Amino acid sequence: MIKSQAMEKINQKKHQVMRIQNVSLSFGGLKALIDVSLEIYQKEILAIIGPNGAGKSCMLNIISGIYTPEEGTVIWKGKKREKVAPHNIAKMGIARTFQNIALFTGMTVLDNILTGRNLLMKRGLFYEAMFLGWARDQEIQHRKKVEEIIDFLEIQAVRKVPVSRLPYGIQKRVELGRALAAEPELLLLDEPMAGMNVEEKEDMCRFVLDVNEQFGTTIILIEHDMGVVMDISDRVAVLDYGRKIADGLPKDVRTDQKVIDAYLGVG
Amino acid sequence: MIYREAGQFKTSYNSDQAILPIFQDRVAMVLMLLFAFVVIPIVANDYWLGSILVPFLVLSLAALGLNVLTGYAGQISLGTAGFMAVGAFAAFNLQIRIPEVPFLLAFVWGGLWAALVGVIFGLPSLRIKGFYLAVATLAAQFFIEWLFTHFDWFTNYSTSGVITAPPMKMLGIAFDNPLNKYLLVLCIVVLLAFAVRNLVRSEVGRAWMAVRDMDIAAAAIGINLMKTKLIAFGVSSFICGVAGALWAYVVLGTVEPQAFDISRSFEILFMVVIGGLGSVAGAFLGAAFIVLLPILLNNLGSLFTGGQVSTGTISHIEYMVFGTFIIFFLIVEPNGLARLWQIGKEKLRLWPFPY
Repeated sequence: MIKSQAMEKINQKKHQVMRIQNVSLSFGGLKALIDVSLEIYQKEILAIIGPNGAGKSCMLNIISGIYTPEEGTVIWKGKKREKVAPHNIAKMGIARTFQNIALFTGMTVLDNILTGRNLLMKRGLFYEAMFLGWARDQEIQHRKKVEEIIDFLEIQAVRKVPVSRLPYGIQKRVELGRALAAEPELLLLDEPMAGMNVEEKEDMCRFVLDVNEQFGTTIILIEHDMGVVMDISDRVAVLDYGRKIADGLPKDVRTDQKVIDAYLGVG
Repeated sequence: MIYREAGQFKTSYNSDQAILPIFQDRVAMVLMLLFAFVVIPIVANDYWLGSILVPFLVLSLAALGLNVLTGYAGQISLGTAGFMAVGAFAAFNLQIRIPEVPFLLAFVWGGLWAALVGVIFGLPSLRIKGFYLAVATLAAQFFIEWLFTHFDWFTNYSTSGVITAPPMKMLGIAFDNPLNKYLLVLCIVVLLAFAVRNLVRSEVGRAWMAVRDMDIAAAAIGINLMKTKLIAFGVSSFICGVAGALWAYVVLGTVEPQAFDISRSFEILFMVVIGGLGSVAGAFLGAAFIVLLPILLNNLGSLFTGGQVSTGTISHIEYMVFGTFIIFFLIVEPNGLARLWQIGKEKLRLWPFPY
């Protein structure tokens, strides 16, 4: 396992937001994750890579609370996290996008992103039914925030278009916008560039970097495009058959023999 | 050209998020309300008011209630008539036990009971979806019907099981003629339609649609699926309950379980499907289609044949034409009449110019 001196120094300075300790998870006889530990530091971009079936999405689902590990613990901001309902994870400040686009297809771009802010809104059926008082004020207030995100992602022209009519690349962008709307501390991106052409990938990379820089959001991404991974991530963790085989700076991971073996096979 | 919104610039989010942001829509809505509140009472006779328009409005309301649940929150229900029955019987029982209660309050009471029952029968929705949920809500339909038929307490120990609805009186006005009844029902329907329209464009409505479209993603952005679904069941059943009370008090004049059988549930579900899932206008269009079209066909039938053909044959032909219409509309626009209406509006933006 790689742990360069430089890396250690960076880590010591940075504040740890999440720590995953010796996590294991299996589905029936299939061991999806075996004894994996991972630290996540504030404001970093961490890429999780690995061949198909390595357990990357599983890892993301554990972080986002969809799966609860069978063994091991997840420590979020210094506190051990017990089993939580998925909707409470969002309230902790963790947002995510999905590998296959999971937008609300019947709604417009605006409504999709507004829904991302639902957890910051108050609920009161009577006032909402009459659209009175705070119910109207909160719609307007949150609309302002949503417009900022729309500006940021450069999708002003399509704000009132139902998302099902939009091209794939823009849909991915809207999904990022919906995740950002909740103002998360930790953002999980499951293959944000899958199926995109070069220009779309470049745009998405820029958005990911800008989110990280402007909002100070910690980002974990799963990505298969090695060029993208090596360019934008601060740190790379490599999984293979449910085990973590490497964790470190991109340039170190690239030359690691275990990683090369995992991707190319051992000769 | 007629329906062009160019030049209508919104300078605040408030005006952009108004209930009808486009000027032409506002004009159309005012005209429609004027027509319903002023023109119809002047023009229509008692037969039209009492036998056609009032049932149409009440069933629109029930369809609106189901549309909240099925169209917006995506939970299929076949228990609509059951929830309507709860509303009718709760309102009736409150007035029987405490005669001083004004009938409007009894309607609200009926709606609240229906909401409670709806929430209870909505509990399976947390585990099951789609067709399976539809079958589970059938349980509500059969159970409620059975309950009101077999427990005499609900019918106040009436021997026939059919009871005359108490007279509706408020502030010295008796709602006993078709015109008064029509205006009363219209007011209630307009108010509830306005409320639903507001709900679906605010926070709770977006939560419903999020659950409908992609529940995993909805949970991931912090929407509590259980709460959201149960609120949808509650709001939907409240509206159905009020519709049920109106059906018993205003349309039938009697409170009887047989008026709320399974075929009523299906009828309302068809209205929602034909009218358009997830649309307030769809509930009204669907109800108009199911209630008004057969009457129109009937009149046309006797008009064209001029008494040459027996009424039995005419009514058979009516059924055939009606069925053909349903299939035709579902093929032309599976998303319902409301979608057709929307497409029509989009065409009107350009018409008569090609682009």
